[in-house]
Amino acid sequence: MSKFQKLDFYAQQRPYELLPFKFDRLNDCEYVITNMAGEYHILPMPVLEPLISRTLPLTSELIPTLRSKQFIRFPEEEAPLQLLALKIRTRLSRLAQFTNLHIFVVTLRCDHSCPYCQVSRQSESRDEFDMTSEMADRSLDFVFMSPNPAIKIEFQGGEPLLNFEMVKYIVLEAEKRNLKEGRDLQFVIATTLSLLTDEMLVFCKQHHIVLSSSLDGPMNLHNANRPRPGRDSHQRFEEGLTKARAALGYDQVSALMTTTDKSLPHVRAIIDEYLRLGFDGIFLRTLSPYGFAIKTKKFLSYDTERWLDFYKEGLEYIIKLNKSGIRFVEQYSSLVLAKMLTSTDPGFVDLMNPAGAGIAAIVFNYDGSVYASDESRMLAEMGDHTFRLGNILEQSYEEIILSDQLLDALEDSFTLSSPMCSDCAFEPFCGSEPVYHHAMHKDPVGRKPESSFCKRNMAIFKHLIELMENDEGTKRIFMGWANRC
Amino acid sequence: MKQETTLVFDQQLYEAQVLQKAAYRAMSSLTVDIACADGKFSCVLSSNIGVEEPSFLLAVQEFKKDVIDYQLRYQLNIETLPIKNLILGLAFSKTGLISE
Repeated sequence: MSKFQKLDFYAQQRPYELLPFKFDRLNDCEYVITNMAGEYHILPMPVLEPLISRTLPLTSELIPTLRSKQFIRFPEEEAPLQLLALKIRTRLSRLAQFTNLHIFVVTLRCDHSCPYCQVSRQSESRDEFDMTSEMADRSLDFVFMSPNPAIKIEFQGGEPLLNFEMVKYIVLEAEKRNLKEGRDLQFVIATTLSLLTDEMLVFCKQHHIVLSSSLDGPMNLHNANRPRPGRDSHQRFEEGLTKARAALGYDQVSALMTTTDKSLPHVRAIIDEYLRLGFDGIFLRTLSPYGFAIKTKKFLSYDTERWLDFYKEGLEYIIKLNKSGIRFVEQYSSLVLAKMLTSTDPGFVDLMNPAGAGIAAIVFNYDGSVYASDESRMLAEMGDHTFRLGNILEQSYEEIILSDQLLDALEDSFTLSSPMCSDCAFEPFCGSEPVYHHAMHKDPVGRKPESSFCKRNMAIFKHLIELMENDEGTKRIFMGWANRC
Repeated sequence: MKQETTLVFDQQLYEAQVLQKAAYRAMSSLTVDIACADGKFSCVLSSNIGVEEPSFLLAVQEFKKDVIDYQLRYQLNIETLPIKNLILGLAFSKTGLISE
């Protein structure tokens, strides 16, 4: 005789209780539901109302899944609450560490004249647009006030290599200070590679400096997007890439692309160019509404729908490549997937809530101004100083970090209390982007139904989920991307 | 040409904030004037400038679906608010950010 009770004895007799979750229509037949920690599940449309009315039969095959993902619990169960709390705490743990990325704009000068330039570069000869050592020193004082045990200093421009003496000064000074501080200190130079010399590479090698570059696609497209004297931007990029990889290591140089109207018909050729040059991923980026991208009307040259077609075509091609055995990642998707499929937040500034402005990244401009983000200083170069937090020569760390400009923007744009966002099932995957919405709508919250940021990201979230739901092979590839960050 | 249609909702079945939220969500295609009288909410939906009839009809249909969704969200939020606060309390009570 069995020592166990019959199965009926263990069957749950009491109705389940609802745990907090959000839902949105995925398509005409299904809803996406997300729990407080951002885990999702797909429900057939007719099931949602019975689930919420608590009339879903306990024998339904959905019950174990909904329970295991903490959408429901049985009365008196404590574990789901503890699990959700733990996952929420994990997801937000980055906030407690505060600012990691510190961007130094060492010069606005540039040898390129890209029509979509978002930072309003200046010509090569105008050295009044260079950072001084006094500003660099004060900025470093600020950097080491951050409680974050990991500090990344990124040099941006213009073209930072045009003021390489200042790059060297900051690196040496930061390393000197770090002897006492003991932080995990990293350096990145954002450069086109066009002015890279062997001497610069020796310095980069000695100080473990990583290079982040720009590649818009095959030669014709790249040169059309990134004009410079001699029309040799692509050739210089490729030469610089070869030299830098040889000197620093193959994986020490990354590349970013920007999508212009000229790029739109060529997503496969762009991806093929990244493959030809040995990159293992691409970031399919849209244009931002700042700097020359606005002045030259480049930003208006295509709409969100057209960019989404470009993105979806590119993603389809990348998935096909992966299925044929070529490991290659679409990096924006991988950031989103990390938020969808894991409890960690990759800390991508555009997709953070509270916004990453100031608290994940901060910018020290060549003129001493401190900005809440890279986009904030782009906005300032257009004459809008809304997100200028202060001046490094005049204000203290506390005055800048606790400034109303920063705290108001973070508080006002918080998605859990923003119209539409607060009810949105995709909110855990998204970000608040106060600077973008201020640029477009003159309001840090923005009007989400009219926001191309919202439209673009909602479409991406739905597309990624549908791809995973429709094909197990794609889901496996995406799981690999999510756990790569 | 400006399109217009009126929808009526029973106040016993729908919350005012539900209609307001659905109206907000629809703002890229249409605007909504909400009034209440005799136990009914009256919603006058007007197309935005430049929105043609097929797009307007689609937006009206979406508005109706959104009203039902937001009413369901309202019911869900009411029921789960205490437990939501409990979970947030648990999450933030163990951060180590506040000294004892």
